[in-house]
Amino acid sequence: MRIIVIGGKGLAEQVADALHQAGDEVTVFDTEPGRESALAKAGLRAVRGDALVPSTLEAAGALRADVLVACTQSDEDNLVISLLAKKRFNVPRVIARVNDPANDELFTDLWGVDALVSPATALVSMIRQQS
Amino acid sequence: MQVVITGCGRTGRALATRLDAEGDKVTVIELDDTLERGLPAGFRGRFVPGNGINPRVLKAAGIADAEAFVALTANDSANIVSARLARDIYRVPHVLARLHDPAHAPVYTEFGIPTVGSVQTTVNRIIQLLHHRTLEPHQTFGNGETLLVRSRVPAYLAGRRAGEFDVPGEIAVVELSRAGHSKIPEPSTPLEDGDVLSFIVAAASLGRLQSFLGERWS
Repeated sequence: MRIIVIGGKGLAEQVADALHQAGDEVTVFDTEPGRESALAKAGLRAVRGDALVPSTLEAAGALRADVLVACTQSDEDNLVISLLAKKRFNVPRVIARVNDPANDELFTDLWGVDALVSPATALVSMIRQQS
Repeated sequence: MQVVITGCGRTGRALATRLDAEGDKVTVIELDDTLERGLPAGFRGRFVPGNGINPRVLKAAGIADAEAFVALTANDSANIVSARLARDIYRVPHVLARLHDPAHAPVYTEFGIPTVGSVQTTVNRIIQLLHHRTLEPHQTFGNGETLLVRSRVPAYLAGRRAGEFDVPGEIAVVELSRAGHSKIPEPSTPLEDGDVLSFIVAAASLGRLQSFLGERWS
């Protein structure tokens, strides 16, 4: 599958690396400067830029992507990127990361989000299930 | 008018203060609750601490009854998210957002959110003041991308036709004043010495219009 992962170091890179290891064609859209060499070393295709600029997303291959993961540390950026991916680039599957659980309810198809990943909410529900 | 503003920085504060003074009912949403102190002593509006993209915060600010919503935070994507919520979910009739980075303009356009672009407006105004002083605009549209300017027809152009100034997509002659009377000229209307023409002109084409009118670039 062709997958674009958007975000800086941390979760976005780890996800991209794991998908790459599993044989997917992964592009990391890095929103932070200075990570190119680390990404290249890991064998990942890296694009650096501002994901809120549609032409930059297109250059990263948004029109051909099967999956786009909006994984930045800003919920508002992830919402806008998700909506652009769905509305402008017709990406079949858009997955977004929620940083602040208070924003969970926003991450719906209203913003082009097919599935959300909320680390805090996942952790809390896991703790609840255990107890 | 009931107005909700997100962002209590320099612009948000100034707008809230001004609207309040004009009798509008203002609510300001701001993530940093220390900024409430920046509002003037007599401010009658409300201050709601919180994130303006959060529906609970928007509701607490009275978004459901607002007639206008203005997104003025320093973050373009936060402005896009809250403006789109205000317009599409809460059906606020008048929604405006501030555009910081001109590179983000296509996103606002894509989502149909009218913007006030600080950078673009400032640049257009400065170019106007530096290069086109003789073509003072009577009216600017959008963020200064197009303008209405009026200019006297120089004597040496008498006998030329109004349509000769038209450049598709750049310059359109829209009005002719002659001896105290105004009319909409046809492209074939001959010009006379002393005529005053009104043009709609693209900001980028002001230099071209100026050269047509024989004014020197300053």
